[in-house]
Amino acid sequence: MLKQLSIFVENEIGSLRTVTSVLKKHNINIRAIATFDSPEFGILRIIVDKPELARDILEENGFVLKITNVIAVNLEDRPGELDKVLAVIENAGLNLNYIYSFVIREDNSPLLVMHIDDLEIAKQILSEHGVKIGTLED
Amino acid sequence: MIWSKNETLTRGEMESLQLERLKETVNRMYEKNEPYRKKMSEAGIRPEDIRSLEDLKRLPFTTKDDLRDNYPYGYFSTPKNEIVRIHASSGTTGKPTVVGYTRKDLETWTELVTRIAVMGGATKDDIAQICFGYGMFTGALGLHYGLENLGAIVAPASSGNTEKQIMYLKDFESTLLVATPSYALHIAEVARAMGIDPAKDLKVKTGLFGGEGITESMREEMYRLWGRDMKVTQNYGMSELMGPGISGECLELQGMHINEDNFIPEIINPETGEVLPAGEEGELVISCINKEGLPLIRYRTKDITRLVNEPCKCGRTTVRMESIKGRSDDMLVIRGVNVFPSQIEEVLLKVSGIGPHYEIIVDRVNHLDNIEIKVELCDDNKLDLYSQLTALEEEIKHKLRVVLGLSANVKLVAPHSLRRFEGKAKRVVDLRK
Repeated sequence: MLKQLSIFVENEIGSLRTVTSVLKKHNINIRAIATFDSPEFGILRIIVDKPELARDILEENGFVLKITNVIAVNLEDRPGELDKVLAVIENAGLNLNYIYSFVIREDNSPLLVMHIDDLEIAKQILSEHGVKIGTLED
Repeated sequence: MIWSKNETLTRGEMESLQLERLKETVNRMYEKNEPYRKKMSEAGIRPEDIRSLEDLKRLPFTTKDDLRDNYPYGYFSTPKNEIVRIHASSGTTGKPTVVGYTRKDLETWTELVTRIAVMGGATKDDIAQICFGYGMFTGALGLHYGLENLGAIVAPASSGNTEKQIMYLKDFESTLLVATPSYALHIAEVARAMGIDPAKDLKVKTGLFGGEGITESMREEMYRLWGRDMKVTQNYGMSELMGPGISGECLELQGMHINEDNFIPEIINPETGEVLPAGEEGELVISCINKEGLPLIRYRTKDITRLVNEPCKCGRTTVRMESIKGRSDDMLVIRGVNVFPSQIEEVLLKVSGIGPHYEIIVDRVNHLDNIEIKVELCDDNKLDLYSQLTALEEEIKHKLRVVLGLSANVKLVAPHSLRRFEGKAKRVVDLRK
């Protein structure tokens, strides 16, 4: 299980950077990032190497954010891989809220971050179907 | 054309009529209106102390709170069975203010609105389409009876459904439009988008505008959209005093003639309550001197203006008031609806997940007032899903609509991003010209 930070940002010039500059100052490394936006505001979701530290620092700097558990799965870099994982989730009747992928993977295989309503069940079922669950230490 | 000879009295004639009516009204209030009698006693003044118009300033003020404190009928100055109609103001802060008319009051009202309509160029040959909302507001029914009294054909179209309004304007060949100025501009824009040029394809030649002030840039825009030969006038009123019919512009467009035989205007310093010399700008205070149901004395309108005494080319001798420059309180008029920031604050305080700070931005988009309210998000639990944030926005919008009676845009912003104030907070940014 990974810890993801969801941060409220306004949809304005420079607003993402208000977050990244704070993280940079404290030497926190971003591993994955996704934004969901409307014309007015967005939720920035990031996975970092030191989530608790990042939360404390961002809160000190006045951000509203939340730590949420998410799951990451290792995929082979070939056609049909994502479809296979999604089929497992669909067949189990689980609700997948969003997915995004990692920024950089040293071993070059894609890692996909997923937010699913019932994470424990998802993890178990994915494992049963031979999907490799990823961690930050990979 | 001038409808009534009372609009052309000499100063001496007007003042003696005013004094006679003021005395009657003060007597009526002292005898029949307990809250006002109490105020007069506290001020140490009795009806017989009113010997000249100069003595008016010794009388206590009446405020909207007086009406609210005596909601609904406690401020009426006639037995309830003599009242034949009630109206109410937008009761946005808690209870509305209720106003009552005797049969004679309704006749007076009709007469005064007819004067205003004639001043603005209306004739008995007009086909008048009234695009004010019919209901508890005084605007629609006031103009309705005034124009009917004149002999015009009245089409009570009410407000909303702009495309249907345009169909009526076209098919009924309406020649006179009653609306808020911003709605009239909006109708013109929509008509153009439908391929109808109001200046060429419609027959409207007279616009009687009220409910909100008209600025010179709006008037210019009105000519551009409705045609250079359109008669564009504004008139002024408020339900507490009567409704429309207090004052209106004549075609000279040099201020609004006050129906002085019915309403005595004063300009005061809103801070001290002191009466200001002629020609100075301040808060307009009006005394009703020809009413039975609710003749308010020295009612504080909270509207800022100036009085003009010079004779008008139109021939009327009545004093004029300039366009309203602003308010001595923080009331906003949004699409003709009165809105107080305190009402918005009350709604926001009851919504969980947002902070206590807010900013109100009022602007005019496509000729319609637009109100946006920025609030700070402070609940991290809403960050799980994007839909939770939009649901929060919708919840705030809904609650505001219920209380204000109009829809506002809501914008969630980051915590601590709104300006903080040490003294009195300035929460309203009004970008309308």
